[in-house]
Amino acid sequence: MRKFAARLLQLDRRFIFVLMSVVTVLPLLYPLGLPVRISPETQQLYDTLERLPERSVVLLSLDYDPASKPELYPMTVSLLRHAFARNLRVVALTLWPAGTSMAESAITHGAEEAGKKDGTDYVFLGYGPGEANAIISLGQGLTNAFPTDYAGRKTETLPVLAGVRSLRDIDYAISLSAGFPGLDTWYVYGKEKYGFELGGGCTAVSAPKFYPLLQTGQINGLLGGLRGAAEYETLLNQSGKATAGMDAQSATHFLIIGLIMVCNVCYLLGGRKG
Amino acid sequence: MSPEMLCGAWVAAGLSLCIYSFLYRDNPFFKLGEHIFVGASVGYLLVITYHEVMLKKLAVPLIEQHEWRLAIPLVLGLLMLARFVPRLAWTSRLAFAFILGVSSGVAIPRLLSSFVLQQVQGTLKPLVSVGPTGASFGLAELNTILILIGVVSVLVYFFFSIEHTGSVRRVARLGMYFLMISFGAAFGYTVMARMSLLIGRFDELILYATPEYSYATVWLLGFVTGGLVWWQRRVRQAQAQAPPDGTE
Repeated sequence: MRKFAARLLQLDRRFIFVLMSVVTVLPLLYPLGLPVRISPETQQLYDTLERLPERSVVLLSLDYDPASKPELYPMTVSLLRHAFARNLRVVALTLWPAGTSMAESAITHGAEEAGKKDGTDYVFLGYGPGEANAIISLGQGLTNAFPTDYAGRKTETLPVLAGVRSLRDIDYAISLSAGFPGLDTWYVYGKEKYGFELGGGCTAVSAPKFYPLLQTGQINGLLGGLRGAAEYETLLNQSGKATAGMDAQSATHFLIIGLIMVCNVCYLLGGRKG
Repeated sequence: MSPEMLCGAWVAAGLSLCIYSFLYRDNPFFKLGEHIFVGASVGYLLVITYHEVMLKKLAVPLIEQHEWRLAIPLVLGLLMLARFVPRLAWTSRLAFAFILGVSSGVAIPRLLSSFVLQQVQGTLKPLVSVGPTGASFGLAELNTILILIGVVSVLVYFFFSIEHTGSVRRVARLGMYFLMISFGAAFGYTVMARMSLLIGRFDELILYATPEYSYATVWLLGFVTGGLVWWQRRVRQAQAQAPPDGTE
């Protein structure tokens, strides 16, 4: 038994990679349909959007690049669907230069799907350079920070921005963040100073950083990783990429837990010498 | 399906498989994918920055709309490049001093307020709720007590001015358990994030394996696997022909 444990501990790591691939692919090909439970932080974000009156202004900051697309793109799609279904005005931008085209594509597809008109129901302002400075600049004056939108139209003439002079006129801001600048930057330089409501979504790896902000009420909703995106899709009664990925997520987690347990048992059985 | 979409799918599938080939071992396919990724990322960032910042936010307002105040950041930016001219290198300090001064002035009060004062305020909540019907104690209050114990014990753990013996040692040990739980949670979330990325890539690779995309994943998987086998054989042959001590 000791020999077997020692040999198992020296197993070629590539066997684990193959095992992980199989466990990931199978649920994607044959979904299990495991239930998705809604967490309070996701529900809070959903409820905030539900409470907003029609034509309220929602600022959506897509602070990520293609590297974080699997986690944050499904959130973008769900939030846009929800905002457009509630007939809210969407003002979108990104603080990440590498995410500009992807953000523009997400907004355009979401609007086309909902039959919304560019410039009237939504606007994509483009990339805001300067990280925190972009937020401060938006707080001082939106048309000064973005004289033109991504398409090159003057922002002061756009109907979607009627009555929106700065961040103080935003009803709800959501930052989908993959790092810096992101949700915490929006809180520190935006919400604290200009007093709008703030919620957000983030990659799972950065979620623990935002829970203290949620606990103290500094942000009022949080979508954490693929799980958060799947929960939001469930709330909208729509099965999207995130929900489809949750079966694979659960399967890989089971495998990792199993591997950790096997390794520890082997270690205790005497494999530590090997 | 447009030719651009089809071409994009083949490139995406091919590069993903090249990068994943590293799981076998470092190889030329991985290096190709890595170099293309780095080059494309830098090129894309340069184009976006030039178009969205240099043109839209600086050149057009300055030249066409005569917004002369933009000359100040332009000069400061140019001063930074003065580092490449040894005789003028000292002028770059002006720009750096401006950036450091403004950044510190803006960031320090905001960060202190957001991450220290507000967090301290969040820790100091009432331990018992008092309403019209009297005092009550529920899960929220239990949570508040846990947070308080966690914060105090972790602070004691990192307090090195007194020796960790007796009751201080016990409190510090409790702080260590809190830290271990938080590290475990953070690691769990990290695993979840990495698995999400893997699922996202596999999801697209499965999509590109369909007839709509001319079985891109299947063909490219065969090509990369075949290439790896051929490369591995060549490496083994080269090793077999090399002298045992590595000298010519």
